[in-house]
Amino acid sequence: MSSQKKRTFQIEAFKHRVVVDPKYAEKTWKVLEHAIHEIYNHNASGLSFEELYRNAYNMVLHKFGEKLYSGLVTTMTSHLKEISQSIESAQGEIFLEELNRKWIDHNKALQMIRDILMYMDRTFIPSSHKTPVHELGLNLWRDVVIHSSKTQARLRDTLLELVLRERNGEVINRGLMRNIIKMLMDLGLSVYQEDFEKHFLSVSANFYCLESQKFIETCDCGDYLKKAERRLNEEIERVSHYLDPRSEIKITNVVEKEMIDSHMHTLVHMENSGLVNMLVDDKYEDLGRMYSLFRRVPTGLTVVKDVMTAFVRDTGKQLVMDPERLRDPVDFVQRLLDLKDKYDKIINMSFTNDKTFQNALNSSFEHFINLNARSPEFISLFVDDKLRRGLKGVGEEDVEIVLDKVMMLFRYLQEKDVFEKYYKQHLAKRLLSGKTISDDAERSLIVKLKTECGYQFTSKLEGMFTDMKTSYDTMQGFYASQSDVGDSPSLVVHVLTTGSWPTQPSPQCNLPSELLGVCEKFRAYYLGTHNGRRLSWQTNMGTADLKATFGKGQKHELNVSTYQMCVLMLFNNADRLTCKEIEQATGIPLLDLKRCLQSLACVKGKNVLRKEPMSKDIAEDDTFFFNDKFTSKFFKVKIGTVVAQRESEPENLETRQRVEEDRKPQIEAAIVRIMKSRRTLDHNNIVAEVTKQLQSRFLPNPVVIKKRIESLIEREFLERDRVDRKLYRYLA
Amino acid sequence: MQLLIQCCVLWFVSPEGIEALCNDVNVNHTDVRMLIFAWKMKAEKQGYFSKDEWRRGLKCLGADTRPKLKKAIEGLDKELKVPECFEDFYSYAFQYCLTEEKQRSVDIETICELLNIVLKSEFPNQVNLLVEYLKVGKQLFKLIYVQNDYRALNMDQWRSFYRFFKEVDFHDLENYDSSQAWTVIIDNFVEWLKEKEKN
Repeated sequence: MSSQKKRTFQIEAFKHRVVVDPKYAEKTWKVLEHAIHEIYNHNASGLSFEELYRNAYNMVLHKFGEKLYSGLVTTMTSHLKEISQSIESAQGEIFLEELNRKWIDHNKALQMIRDILMYMDRTFIPSSHKTPVHELGLNLWRDVVIHSSKTQARLRDTLLELVLRERNGEVINRGLMRNIIKMLMDLGLSVYQEDFEKHFLSVSANFYCLESQKFIETCDCGDYLKKAERRLNEEIERVSHYLDPRSEIKITNVVEKEMIDSHMHTLVHMENSGLVNMLVDDKYEDLGRMYSLFRRVPTGLTVVKDVMTAFVRDTGKQLVMDPERLRDPVDFVQRLLDLKDKYDKIINMSFTNDKTFQNALNSSFEHFINLNARSPEFISLFVDDKLRRGLKGVGEEDVEIVLDKVMMLFRYLQEKDVFEKYYKQHLAKRLLSGKTISDDAERSLIVKLKTECGYQFTSKLEGMFTDMKTSYDTMQGFYASQSDVGDSPSLVVHVLTTGSWPTQPSPQCNLPSELLGVCEKFRAYYLGTHNGRRLSWQTNMGTADLKATFGKGQKHELNVSTYQMCVLMLFNNADRLTCKEIEQATGIPLLDLKRCLQSLACVKGKNVLRKEPMSKDIAEDDTFFFNDKFTSKFFKVKIGTVVAQRESEPENLETRQRVEEDRKPQIEAAIVRIMKSRRTLDHNNIVAEVTKQLQSRFLPNPVVIKKRIESLIEREFLERDRVDRKLYRYLA
Repeated sequence: MQLLIQCCVLWFVSPEGIEALCNDVNVNHTDVRMLIFAWKMKAEKQGYFSKDEWRRGLKCLGADTRPKLKKAIEGLDKELKVPECFEDFYSYAFQYCLTEEKQRSVDIETICELLNIVLKSEFPNQVNLLVEYLKVGKQLFKLIYVQNDYRALNMDQWRSFYRFFKEVDFHDLENYDSSQAWTVIIDNFVEWLKEKEKN
């Protein structure tokens, strides 16, 4: 290549002067104006897009943007005015259709115009901060057409009327509605809200206010709720079909307020059909509906929950305080369980297992179960009944279900220590009489109690089981060691560890001579292998099987208590004996003896003894005879009563006193524990702490706590502060 | 002083001696002033004054002759005007009644007497009511098993009486708050008062 200079490529400006035609702008504008007219007259097909675009482009380029813009405004405005008038003159049904049609046209036109004026839209308008073409078109539509004095109100009223008709059951043109509403939304959210939504909501409020009033007067609660639900669903559906989705929450709020919130209390308390009736009649569907509707309004569920709670408390209270019910403890507890089941089902089926409802139910139960001081005893009797016979033949899983239900009731008890006392007594009777249907079931319940209350609660109970097992082994060993059994009666001994078993100390009665031999042998055997222990016969707790032969030779096997056996054996050597003589011979305490004699002589079908006089009560000089004429269709006759029973009033009082006595050291121990760690503490705090520490067993009475504190002061474990008498100090 | 002590050796070896002393100064042995005298002496054992205690008492009173002693004892009730002193004396009065080694409580009869001696001048109305209540409580106990056993009271309960009289207005019992760590006997006393007022 040669070394010639490289020339850079240059573009030079026109060398000739470019003349701008003064009328250029006007001419160009006219072209565009004409185009706009044609577009609005549906004559756009004859136009050349390219030419129009170029014209607009040139105008802007030559600084005539302003003229172009203002021309656009003017032209469009005048067209829209025409359109507006045509809409205004539309009659009746046509109004909306016309509006819709014209809107569609306008949009098409606007689209084309915008395309033509694209250059202006992109350059002139931003720099001069004017409204872009499309937006301008919408604004003009809004101002000229929609907000024209005649159209604005008419549009609103037409739309609202259509909604009303639809609410009244008519079918309306939803597509048209949708388009019109969409138009409003396109014009801006505030247009939609101001021109339509606001009015829609207030008119709806009125509508539902009146309708709900009418329904309340004519419908029962269940029907009303159905109607309310239907309306709610309707509105939701309406929104999804032709309104802005954001309106849904607003309109549902309106319906909720007018139909539910305003009438909440009326509905819930409606006579014969309100909440209480629904609960009583297990109306799951209605309740479910009430729940889902009331959930939507503030405090709705609280109202339902409070009414339900009050009703359950009331029902429970009546159940628990009814003197009829108190006669049959097992039935009493069964009814409690049934009540719980009923409401559990309601909460499950209708209230979506709502936790707050569950908690309210629990607190109601806790409240009324503890209104009756005998609840702990009754629950234990219920368990006793189930474990003795009620659960016979029931599968393992079902047994667990029953026991779990019992545990649930147990948890509600405030006085768990009272339950423990009774449970121990009843368990002892079951074990000793061998009358438990399933060892596994017994142990399963103990495990549950242990899990709930800790090992101290059940350690003694477990001790009872151990004793039973050990006794069995001991008996095996005893009989193995006896070479010559001979004629002596066969003896079964349960060796009970004091402290594990409920103690009812009673003086030993005089055992018949036939027994003394084998009893002594056992004692010798036992003490031989267990050095240093002390054995005492609990003659108030045993049973005996006697073979009896009566007058005509009929034989029966009598199952009796030890006391009864002692009494009956006397009649082997005597034909007649007075009560006093029997008392002396047997050494049985008088009260027990009287009960014993009653069961032997005064009960039909079990009167192996005959009494003179034939009265029901036992007097000291009543005479007893062996009843030769005794008959029974059973070979084995059961006379002994070692079955757990509901306590009589005086027994109950006694147990309660013992419980109170047992509580005192527990309270004191708690006080000392607390004071030892805190050193000084004021009165109210001690009471609170003690209550908290003991709550798993019982609810301590604040007065009793105070007395224990005073006792501890007297014994110099604590002292009262000299200055602030509310303050206590631990004395090491 | 020497003379007095020699004379008094005869007086105070025993309760009879004390009685003789009382005769001499012309003050009844149940008079509160004898009790105040014992307090001044910090006498430990009821009915007996030890030599040291006697010395202490005389020194406190500033008495070294019989007439001076008599005059001093006569004016002893003025010693209690200061509240701290009174409280100390009040507790002492209870202590003085504990005759046995491990004794912690005093029987109701003595308590009632003591209340009359020690508090009646300042709180006549209240003392009467309290004494009535205590006696009623004792009666009830004899008849049925009453949960509140007030056959004897301890120091804590004794102290609470004085505080109660001082702080609580008997005409304004509605404001009494039983959660305020008053002793249980005071709580029960207030309930009894309220019942009494109703009838």
